[in-house]
Amino acid sequence: MSALSRASAQYSTKIDNEGLLGDPKPMWRQAISRLLGIRSGQIGLVIILVLLFIAAFADLIAPYNPQQVLIGVEQVKKREAPCVHILGCDVSKPQHLMGIDGNVRDEFSRVLHGTRVSLTIGLTTVSAALIFGVFFGAISGYFGGWVDMIIMRLMDVILGFPSLLLAIAIVAVLGPGIQNALLAISIVTLPQYARVTRASVLSVKELDFVAASKVMGASHRHILFFRVLPNAMTPIVVLATLGIATAILDAAGLSFLGLGAQPPMPEWGTMLGSERNQIFSAPHLVFFPGIAIMITVLGFNLLGDGLRDALDPRLNHS
Amino acid sequence: MKKILLGGLAVPALLVAVSVPASAFEGRTVAAPNCDYGGKIESIVAQDEYTVVFNLCKPDPAFKAKAAFTPFGIEPEEYIDSAGVDGSIISAPIGTGPFMLDAWNRGDSVVYKRFDDYWGEKPVYSTLVYRWNDSGAGRLNELRAGTVDQITNVSPDDYDSVKMDDSLQFIPVVNPNTMYLGMTNTFAPFDDVKVRQAIAMGIDRQRIIDNFYPAGSEVASHFTPCSLPNACVGDDWYGFDPAKAKELLAEAGYPDGFDTKIYYRDVFRGYLPEPSLVAVELQTQLRDNLGINAEVVVMESGEFIDESTSGRLDGFYMLGWGADYPHITNFLDYHFTKGTVQFGNPFPEIYDNLITASTIADTATAEPYYEKANNAIRELVPMVPIAHGASASAALKTLGNAHFPPFGAPQLQFDDPGKDTLVYMQNAEPISLYCADETDGESLAACQPVVETLLNYKIDSGDTVPALATDCSANDEATVWTCTLREGVKFHDGSSFDANDVVASWAAGIDASNPAHKGNTGSFDYYAYLWDGFMNAE
Repeated sequence: MSALSRASAQYSTKIDNEGLLGDPKPMWRQAISRLLGIRSGQIGLVIILVLLFIAAFADLIAPYNPQQVLIGVEQVKKREAPCVHILGCDVSKPQHLMGIDGNVRDEFSRVLHGTRVSLTIGLTTVSAALIFGVFFGAISGYFGGWVDMIIMRLMDVILGFPSLLLAIAIVAVLGPGIQNALLAISIVTLPQYARVTRASVLSVKELDFVAASKVMGASHRHILFFRVLPNAMTPIVVLATLGIATAILDAAGLSFLGLGAQPPMPEWGTMLGSERNQIFSAPHLVFFPGIAIMITVLGFNLLGDGLRDALDPRLNHS
Repeated sequence: MKKILLGGLAVPALLVAVSVPASAFEGRTVAAPNCDYGGKIESIVAQDEYTVVFNLCKPDPAFKAKAAFTPFGIEPEEYIDSAGVDGSIISAPIGTGPFMLDAWNRGDSVVYKRFDDYWGEKPVYSTLVYRWNDSGAGRLNELRAGTVDQITNVSPDDYDSVKMDDSLQFIPVVNPNTMYLGMTNTFAPFDDVKVRQAIAMGIDRQRIIDNFYPAGSEVASHFTPCSLPNACVGDDWYGFDPAKAKELLAEAGYPDGFDTKIYYRDVFRGYLPEPSLVAVELQTQLRDNLGINAEVVVMESGEFIDESTSGRLDGFYMLGWGADYPHITNFLDYHFTKGTVQFGNPFPEIYDNLITASTIADTATAEPYYEKANNAIRELVPMVPIAHGASASAALKTLGNAHFPPFGAPQLQFDDPGKDTLVYMQNAEPISLYCADETDGESLAACQPVVETLLNYKIDSGDTVPALATDCSANDEATVWTCTLREGVKFHDGSSFDANDVVASWAAGIDASNPAHKGNTGSFDYYAYLWDGFMNAE
């Protein structure tokens, strides 16, 4: 290491230790506190926390195994309507809050376990898209030139296709299944993260503290990942939160078409798709999975909106 | 100069004039050089203007039942020779039926107009419309809204609501059918008979019937429904015995089961009203009873039929069969005779008996052969017969004479909608309207108002009644069938019906060298399988 580099590193450390560039933690704390003061953020957060709780403890909350067929176990028929004792259902009959599905399984238990599947889908796909999208977007925005051109043109090609159509095409090639559906959704959403990251990095890299780091002799890797990216994450966090909702919808759509989760996995889109023809004879089998999708998507959308407001420096939060 | 087809070759009529009477009529013939090709038909000869002779290589007691089947419909000779060659016949049929095609609005409807020169009783309304909807709920919704007059395949869950609806008629369909779980014995582990027997014993078929089939359905004791003669001779199918099944599976080397797939198409049929539910139920039973981990795979309908009947599916597959005509050969011969590869390599223990039995007219004489064949099916388990399903149609209360025959589609010319248009809704759009080369039920139904056959099925049974032929009779050996044709019949294009139209229509299907042997796909499945193959094939 040269003397100049050593000096630069020492200065950089000194600046960090003295907090001259600002400690990000207080900023996040401020953001969370602002989020908790925004009504949409509060509601969204509560919904997501409840869903996370259900997903984590579905085995304990659900009265039945979601794959357990109740033929011979209870006196129930396929597609039986909900039986809720406090609403007047005969107490001698077993209670099924959301009724019985076409394969004589407890719908409530399946909807609860569906939370786990859907949240996993949302978080997994967004995480994968986020990691690769942010990486490629950051590289592209920071270095520019031919690297930027190649990466962004590739993203443009992917963005050129309608996302769900491209996902269907990818799954059609790879074969139906939850893993391939996750991969397909990650691929089609990746360019959004890359583009937003690039735009954010382009503006942040021109700020004075980045120039200062450069003057101090910090490496590109250090500047990009420890100086620029942390300050460019605000729009990406908002996008990711909203993206979870979109990913859950896309996955439900693929499963509805028979391309995503396969039976007997309790996935809301699959449950909707398998009973779509019974909308008049057994509406509860379409209603409850549909409501579950709606609440989850609403939760993430409200949280995303709240985060956007909480993190937007242009809004006066005082 | 009119040409005559001899062995598929168009020969100037003068060259065969020696066999033609001095009258103006020049009879056509389609013939194989001999019977060595293995098929059942040696020749079809227009003996005179209103007599057609079918010379068979071997007896066929089911000839009349087969000849009444829609794929053997008659179209004008000249039209077959032109439109059959250039392919336009597949969307514009010309027949002698009570309705003529007016328009096929792709993706929406097929519209027919009453044929005023029809030889029989004319319909009381002028316009017939076929529409389609693949959703049971959607079909019933349209019926309740009064936008259609009759629908096919009421969903089992809607039976009670249809029965209780004062504005609707519930029409049970008694078409004999079988739903089975197929296996292809050229793929491991289905190449081991012990595995197949284990599966036969390891599935609780009664549970499937009780929970996923409408009332009136029954567990299959044999492959063929017992309403057909000789169908249920021989031992009944295995009872549900999971312990014995596990034992057999262990003996075969699979004590913990194995991984496989269950293929199916998501199409409503009388033998399988709710395919996705039954697939998951089978998946559950295989897992719980035998430790077999089966992934459920939905396939596109056409691809599924292609792959399964060609013996290319490496797992289980759910398929079924609805009777085309009322004879046991329609079930057993199609699935198990020599040359069929649907279940892998065919078994001589089965097909030797079937081939012998198919040439015997007398039911009692044929019984021992069908008994042996049924017992061999039970022993070798090429598939597991699950159910004989009940199904139903529904119609508006205002539709007079509403019915659904056991064989074929409703004969809607007899109905009275009380208005000038009758709208019939089925599951799907026809693939083509040239039914000589179709097996798809929706296509056959859409051909029926236009194209007629030599004989027809009774509206309430599988017995045949005269149609374009006033009579078809056989010699003592049932090897020569002579059909006397109805006189004074007109085609929709105004041409007159005669024996050459019969020969030309049959020749396009049965004669592989005929220039009109093109059709929609060129497979002419029913000609191939009901008559044991094409003549003059290279």
